[in-house]
Amino acid sequence: MKIDITKYIGKFYLCALLLASTVGCSDFLDESDPSNLTPDSFYTTAKQAESAIAAVYADARFVGNGAGIFSSNWQLLEAPTGTSTTQTAQNSDLNNLYSLSYDANTLHVRNWWRGVYKVIANANLVLENVPDIDMDEGQKNQILGEARFLRAWAYFYAVRLWGDVPLITLPQSATSEDFFPSRSPLKAVYDQIVADLTAAEGAGLSWTDESGRVSQSAVKSLLAKVYLTMAGNPLNETARYADAATKAKEVIDNAGPIDLFDTYREIHDESLGNTVEHIFSLQYNDEVAGNPMGNMFPNFQPVTYRGPSGTGSTVPEIEFYNSFEAGDQRTVDREGWFYTSYYTNGDGELFDLGAPYIFKHFNVTANGTQGVPGTAKDNLNMPIIRFAEVLLIYAEASNEASGPTQDAVDALTRIRDRAQLTTPTLGEFTQESLREAVWKERWHELCYEQITWFDMVRLRKVLNSETGGFDDFVGHINLSSDQALQEKHLLFPLPEQEMINNPSLTPQNPGYN
Amino acid sequence: MDSNATLVFSYIGYKTLEIPINGRSVVNAQLEEDASELEEVVLIGYGSQRKSDLTGAVGQVDADQLQERPATSLNQALSGKIAGVQVNTNSGRPGGKSNIRVRGFSSINSSNNPLYVVDGVQLPQGNQDQFSSAIDYLNPNDVVSIEVLKDASSTAIYGARGANGVILVTTKRGRAGQGRVTYDAEYSVNQFGPNRAKVLNAEQYAMIEQLSWENTQKFDPEGWAAGEYAQYEPRLKRANPNVAYLFDSDGKAIYDTDWSKEVVQHKLSQNHQLGFSGGNERTTYAISLGIRDAQGLLKNTYLKRYSGRFSVDDQIKSWLKIGGSLSYNNQTENLADTNDQVPRRMVEDYPFYPGPRHTGGPLEGLYANNRDYPFAEGTRNSVNWLENNEYILNTQTTTGSFYTNLNITKELEMRTVIGANVLTQENNEFRNSVLDNNAVARASSSNEKQTFWSIENYLTYNKKINDNHSFTGLLGLSWQQSNSFYVNAASRNFPTDYFKYNNLGAGSDNLSVGSNATQHALNSYFGRLNYNLMGKYLFTVTGRADGSSKFGENNKFSFFPSAAIAWRVSDEDFLVDNELISNLKLRTSYGVTGNSEIPPYSSLSLLSSNYQTIWNDSRIGGTGLNRLENPDLKWEKTAQYDIGFELGLLNNRISMEADYYYRKTTDMLLDAPVPQSSGYATIRRNVGSMQNQGVELGLSTKNIVTADLSWNTTFNISMNRNKVLSLATPSDIFGVGGPGITNETSIIRVGEPVGAFWGLTRLGTWGTDEAAEAAKFVSYRNGLTILPGDIKYKDFNGDYIINDEDRSIIGNGYPTAWGTLTNYVSYKNLDFTLELQYSWGNDVMDMNLHSSEDRQALANSYTTVLDAWTPDNQDTMIAQVRDTRAGYVTNVDSHWVKDGSFVRGRNIMLGYTFGQNLIERMHLNKLRLYASAQNFFLLVDDELLGDPEVTPIRGGEGNNVFSQGMKWHEYPKSTTFVLGLQVGL
Repeated sequence: MKIDITKYIGKFYLCALLLASTVGCSDFLDESDPSNLTPDSFYTTAKQAESAIAAVYADARFVGNGAGIFSSNWQLLEAPTGTSTTQTAQNSDLNNLYSLSYDANTLHVRNWWRGVYKVIANANLVLENVPDIDMDEGQKNQILGEARFLRAWAYFYAVRLWGDVPLITLPQSATSEDFFPSRSPLKAVYDQIVADLTAAEGAGLSWTDESGRVSQSAVKSLLAKVYLTMAGNPLNETARYADAATKAKEVIDNAGPIDLFDTYREIHDESLGNTVEHIFSLQYNDEVAGNPMGNMFPNFQPVTYRGPSGTGSTVPEIEFYNSFEAGDQRTVDREGWFYTSYYTNGDGELFDLGAPYIFKHFNVTANGTQGVPGTAKDNLNMPIIRFAEVLLIYAEASNEASGPTQDAVDALTRIRDRAQLTTPTLGEFTQESLREAVWKERWHELCYEQITWFDMVRLRKVLNSETGGFDDFVGHINLSSDQALQEKHLLFPLPEQEMINNPSLTPQNPGYN
Repeated sequence: MDSNATLVFSYIGYKTLEIPINGRSVVNAQLEEDASELEEVVLIGYGSQRKSDLTGAVGQVDADQLQERPATSLNQALSGKIAGVQVNTNSGRPGGKSNIRVRGFSSINSSNNPLYVVDGVQLPQGNQDQFSSAIDYLNPNDVVSIEVLKDASSTAIYGARGANGVILVTTKRGRAGQGRVTYDAEYSVNQFGPNRAKVLNAEQYAMIEQLSWENTQKFDPEGWAAGEYAQYEPRLKRANPNVAYLFDSDGKAIYDTDWSKEVVQHKLSQNHQLGFSGGNERTTYAISLGIRDAQGLLKNTYLKRYSGRFSVDDQIKSWLKIGGSLSYNNQTENLADTNDQVPRRMVEDYPFYPGPRHTGGPLEGLYANNRDYPFAEGTRNSVNWLENNEYILNTQTTTGSFYTNLNITKELEMRTVIGANVLTQENNEFRNSVLDNNAVARASSSNEKQTFWSIENYLTYNKKINDNHSFTGLLGLSWQQSNSFYVNAASRNFPTDYFKYNNLGAGSDNLSVGSNATQHALNSYFGRLNYNLMGKYLFTVTGRADGSSKFGENNKFSFFPSAAIAWRVSDEDFLVDNELISNLKLRTSYGVTGNSEIPPYSSLSLLSSNYQTIWNDSRIGGTGLNRLENPDLKWEKTAQYDIGFELGLLNNRISMEADYYYRKTTDMLLDAPVPQSSGYATIRRNVGSMQNQGVELGLSTKNIVTADLSWNTTFNISMNRNKVLSLATPSDIFGVGGPGITNETSIIRVGEPVGAFWGLTRLGTWGTDEAAEAAKFVSYRNGLTILPGDIKYKDFNGDYIINDEDRSIIGNGYPTAWGTLTNYVSYKNLDFTLELQYSWGNDVMDMNLHSSEDRQALANSYTTVLDAWTPDNQDTMIAQVRDTRAGYVTNVDSHWVKDGSFVRGRNIMLGYTFGQNLIERMHLNKLRLYASAQNFFLLVDDELLGDPEVTPIRGGEGNNVFSQGMKWHEYPKSTTFVLGLQVGL
């Protein structure tokens, strides 16, 4: 009897097992992620369109991201200029940038490639998906305009850094036809940039935008800058000088609230972000990400509330500092672009630093000033385009297009007046002298804003800090490292890893094989 | 008694002896050990086997061995006991940071941790804070035995989760018969372990500081001439009002503090374990309770654990047995090594300070931090960190299991096991306002709940057809599911330090919150057939089909087979009565196991909503691209061959087990790089392969066996060679290993061991007569000319540029061989154990040399800087000292790589077991006292500073995996002295 029961129970169990194995797990192994979305469940509302464009803005901050110990991505565009040097040699990628011996493995080069194309990819997602959302058309157009601006902004870096680069304008998946793209001619890339910016011009963006989003004046200013670059090396489309002058003039003539700040301190006053002179900036706020220019602090000197900290991995090259004209307000300690003394721990007694450091991105509110402790929250933005640059674009472009004009000299004069320097009158300028005067002003006005390097490449000229004249790019000796610029330095190498991962990405830029 | 009777003596492990009395009144019997002692039973997956019938490579640790060395975690208890199992204790933190590998690495991106099965219930892989998982929260005192399944034949029954070896843990159960009460107590104290790195004393520091300032003139003549360094003159720095009181009128330091004495505590640690067990023929039970209070070597660090376990087994019907266990564990730890602020600062804190607090000057009474001294690195001292920073981990685990064992027929049995593991971990961090530059306190709290359950059913059929043929068949099903939910919150700037993390809403700045949820599931079907032919030829075949939710729709399931053959040679006629060879078994196996320990949802295309931008000075969430879809994602597989033998000589006085294995992992789950022009960096794909091959040998000898004196020795040695065979693309993988304080430290490259060290080759320093040659180099020193006294690197391609072209593989952290030698001696009631651990051929990359040797005067340095280059001491590896701002050179290079071979005095123990007479009078059945010292000596290369068994502080999970042997300020190891008491009644 007992045996019968066990047999019965055994059979029951067996049946249960078989049943469970066939029925119990029909959807047991299906998965869906409760914390992330799939693309087909997104892009349906105006709110989601805003969220999508926000991601593009967020990615744009890659410029300020770290590049190994004591270094930031933006140093790619500072270290090779020769206008700065370092007080630490801890990061060998950075060392190689300073000594012009960087190669296709240099971290900063890899990071810029990654950063630029991630902005582009997120912009492509917006441009592909937002048009189909049922939402207010005005708002939709603005979002698309912002996406186009940011895509153009990113491509503009890519094309200047590497020349011919893959041109990708649609979201990609692993099965996309151009997942392994080859290099597109730089002309095609510039055409895309101009097309994007032209479309953004008509996207109904407000003239200025204090929230930190793209404005119409930013679009026009960037377009002016793109044209100016197209007019120089390597495209040399000299007809673009006139286009650049036109676009810059549109900003100058319709300035509205746009103007130069009266003082240099206002430029790095965090409370004045996105106003007056600041046409477009990368937005920083301690709640998300603090100002990324910390590597400009002197090496272990107590200039902030942090006490002795700071890396000093971007500090002025002393000859460049000395190349400013006597009396230039931009060299006045703690007033202009530099400081040679500061308050102990930000708010204590003034002490001598022994050398000049960069004040241009120094946030007095956050770090402290005499008798006022810092807030410890560095909410200072990173300027991308200031009105000062627009003025200088105009002066340079119109001089190239049609020789010296009063407007061009006025534009230059506005910059120099603020520095309390005298400027020759229109009659005293030739086209050549105005040209060099504007170039030199660019070096001094726009230094340490990641602009100078591209001027060097575009003009194939470099300011010689010792003579005050301009050397040819090739052969110019960077005083920070005593190394000479070579032809190959006009472009950065394509990242080696990228070339390995994408066999279509050939050839490497000359001189880097 | 009948004087013609025959006495029968029998004792486990000895041959039964029959002696006719033959009228004698005293009969002396000498029992002979029996080779069939090998009849001991060994657990295998979903069953057990006589050890003699095993076909696979299974290592075993029994209760006696576990008692030899007190340990706070199971992994520590297992360390050194089994060949082929490498357990590195990489931190001196109580219970902390061990790294376990069974036969090397199988994976780059998935887990390399073995599967733990406790009483038949698999534990979730886990990804708790500080790389811990559920096994770290098991009370090791509850464990009676551990089996480690190493070869594919034994692990393949766990298919999908078996690729990194399987560790079977058996906890205490009750036994029929007299009830037992046990009480074990243990008291211990710590002191600094051997081979501590030496730092400069106050006088030496002053000398180096002065010299480094003077040498600035040589290394940056322009800056010197411009007066840039005038303010760094030590004389002026010492005159700073904050620190002036520390120096006499000649500028000589008044104090000389050894910071290592300031940071330590010598508190008493305790461990109390109480056990009750008993039962009758039908029902047995066991209860154990434990309290452990382990005080760390560093001030304020501790681990406190309260644990309880209850198990019951009941033969409820003749055909049905049921049982289960329930355990609860509550562990609280304060860690000091979650960042480098304590272990690094205790090296770098200034020796001329009076101790943790100023005793004079305007800062009297406040913490004496390096930052108070002019132009130092702006740090706070180690004691300050220990006293004002908390990192509390509170982990509660509840583990339960229930089984039914149904004897359907005499030969057919069905077992159902339901298991559950609920782990809740709270992580509370608080940095009070004293530690912040702006007197702003920071607090955060996170909570993770991980729930795991499994249901497994399996049938076992035992059939003995006749003396020549018997077999065991197994067939089963399994479902497992893991859920986790994580939430965290943080804020800063509190009105008071009183709240700590207990009122996050009171913080006014930087409020942040986050949460995340995941779920994954596994469904499996498995079977095994053991066939025993004539007791001499043994065959095992297993197969397991596993389905995981993590893989692409088309590849959810995969099949993992294995087969093994063993031949008991010693049972063959020609050896049966061999005097020398008492046991000989040859065995070989081949099988495939899998690895799916990647994050869930890896095959799906997903957007991330964790982008953050700033508009109007406010945080705005964004949604953008995240991961590329891969519907073809599938299992990572490891195929393994094993060939081994077991040998017993001289009646098993000498026994030996040896294995050779070859493991090859294919279809590795790698984040394969994709063209970044797509906006993505990687796609998770099945690409690449890697191999491990090695030999392992265990030897155990009974040197002396007499009634009063016995001496046993066990020795094991393991060797493993790892090699990456292929990757997704020919491009190397960087970004692994290393604490991220310099450039890349490690590389994954085809043809090399995974995570090999990567850097420049330091030839020495440039000599005075090489000045011209040195100057030809493109500067690798802040753009300043390379001078005699600077570091000289090997310029591989002779282009006078030191860059990536000159980097190569300069070592790796994996030993050529490692193992343990243990001696046990017992004489009457005394027992003595000596355990030595050794490792040979492993490199250590000492990243500390960056901050404590390559640079000076920003903080204190190692005494090695006393051997720096001077015009009179040019034959040195160490650059001339100078103010770092005058241009110093520091790179990951071959000088940082040291020979990490070592012999460690792991444990020395002396025990005394009270005699039967005494304890009977005390109504006890056991009373033992013991004393032990652990980590009591260390033999290492003179060049090596500190302990060679390390992984760096800092760096994520991925870094930790490939950073064995990489040194960046670990929690120092201690020498521990233990007194223990074991009572049974």
